[in-house]
Amino acid sequence: MVQPDQPLTKIKLLNPTYPNKSTGLINGKSSGLLNWNDIAYPQMYDLYQTLLSNFWKAQEINMQDDIKQWDYLTEIEKDVFLRINTQLASLDSLQTPTMSHVMDYVTDSSFKAIFAVISQQEAVHNESYSYILSSLVPLREQNERFDQAKDDPIVRKRNQLILDSYDAFREKPTPQRLFELAINSINLEGIYFYAGFAFFYHLARQQKMLKTSTMISYIQRDEMQHAYFISQFIRILLTENPELNTEENIQFVYTTIDKAVQNEKEWANYILKDIDGIDLEEFHGYVEYLANKRLRQIGLDNYYEERENPMAWIHVFSDEMLNETKSDFFEQKSRTYTKVSSSNGFDEL
Amino acid sequence: MKAAIIYTSITGNTEALAEEIYQGMISKGIEVDFIPVDDLDYDMLPSYDVIAIGTYTWDNGDLPMEMEDLFTAFEEMDMKHVTTGVFGTGDSFYPYYCGAVNLFRDMLFVHTNLAVTLKVELTPQVSDSKRCEKFCDRLMGQLVTA
Repeated sequence: MVQPDQPLTKIKLLNPTYPNKSTGLINGKSSGLLNWNDIAYPQMYDLYQTLLSNFWKAQEINMQDDIKQWDYLTEIEKDVFLRINTQLASLDSLQTPTMSHVMDYVTDSSFKAIFAVISQQEAVHNESYSYILSSLVPLREQNERFDQAKDDPIVRKRNQLILDSYDAFREKPTPQRLFELAINSINLEGIYFYAGFAFFYHLARQQKMLKTSTMISYIQRDEMQHAYFISQFIRILLTENPELNTEENIQFVYTTIDKAVQNEKEWANYILKDIDGIDLEEFHGYVEYLANKRLRQIGLDNYYEERENPMAWIHVFSDEMLNETKSDFFEQKSRTYTKVSSSNGFDEL
Repeated sequence: MKAAIIYTSITGNTEALAEEIYQGMISKGIEVDFIPVDDLDYDMLPSYDVIAIGTYTWDNGDLPMEMEDLFTAFEEMDMKHVTTGVFGTGDSFYPYYCGAVNLFRDMLFVHTNLAVTLKVELTPQVSDSKRCEKFCDRLMGQLVTA
């Protein structure tokens, strides 16, 4: 039986007498050796493969088009662009070390491997913001912008919610705090990025700064897999450790996600207020819709009013837009089905 | 009349939707086989009058690997007499929302009597139960008039 407040011990690298297939996500018996063919949750291998197939790097994206367009942005657009860039970079800066820190306390080697990949991807995201900045403004201004992000009271307030939880786990890594860290990780990856995403996709809708938004699209694609993984991690953690699956903790999820929702609305009101074409009321609805999705991913109920996606244009670019080709089941055999719709005599609900 | 729901699920979302459809069909007095695709006896396929297929979407709008054999079976067996519906869950943040439903839709339209498709975002919500009911009605209704 797990004591929610009993600190987890840092795992030894190798425990040769234990099995390779871990007996638990935390406090499990595990040799430390990873054989992907013998793991407790085989679906984690698919997830790992998907994460790897998303691999990308900033340097592959040529910024020339954006460099030319930059001069044509309004002063307000430039200002918001740089503020959001450094603010997102500061979120990713927290995530890279935290994901690797968690690895020391998770006993299942397959989960450790996935945390390692997530940590690597967060490092790539971080670099991509630097790469964008280096294309557009001199180092002096980059540093000023980072200082601005560090000093901004709204950014600090947002980050504090996450920081408190991540630091608490650092100080005393208990199962309870690991659970809380995971929920805040969903806040960071699954909610806090979206005002920023909205801004960059909004520029993309006007054919502006498309190279930047290509990177943003890659980042969103990664973050969605991360939030999905963490939601699976939470579900398995609660299932394996019923002591954590309490009324209080379920309430904690609703309360904490609601804090992030309110912070994200506040941030949007502040950062997007002068951007024409983004309706802030609509964005508030969007954040609630988003939070409902995150809650359902964890297996909980909607907390906010049930609604359709009010800003459906905030989404990952398609392969066609990114000039990538699909290589799958449908490419191997020459299948040529015509796209059909309800006008062909069936119903699409 | 013989009906089957054949599905696959990874997060439990498509399974939850499959169960809701199963309850909907049962409540209309129809006998339904509820079959995870890994347990399917492929020889049985042509013996059904109605088949509802449930699938999640993997990666970039792709079919989950475990659905590929079922997809091929519909292409290779004579299934023209079977009324079909396809449902699935997905995430609209991806460019090919419920892509696997679309892939099945286009194939089933050619090889079967396709009646209806249904897409749900993640876990079914309250507003989705009406759509489930419609899905069942449409799946059954077609058969009555046929």
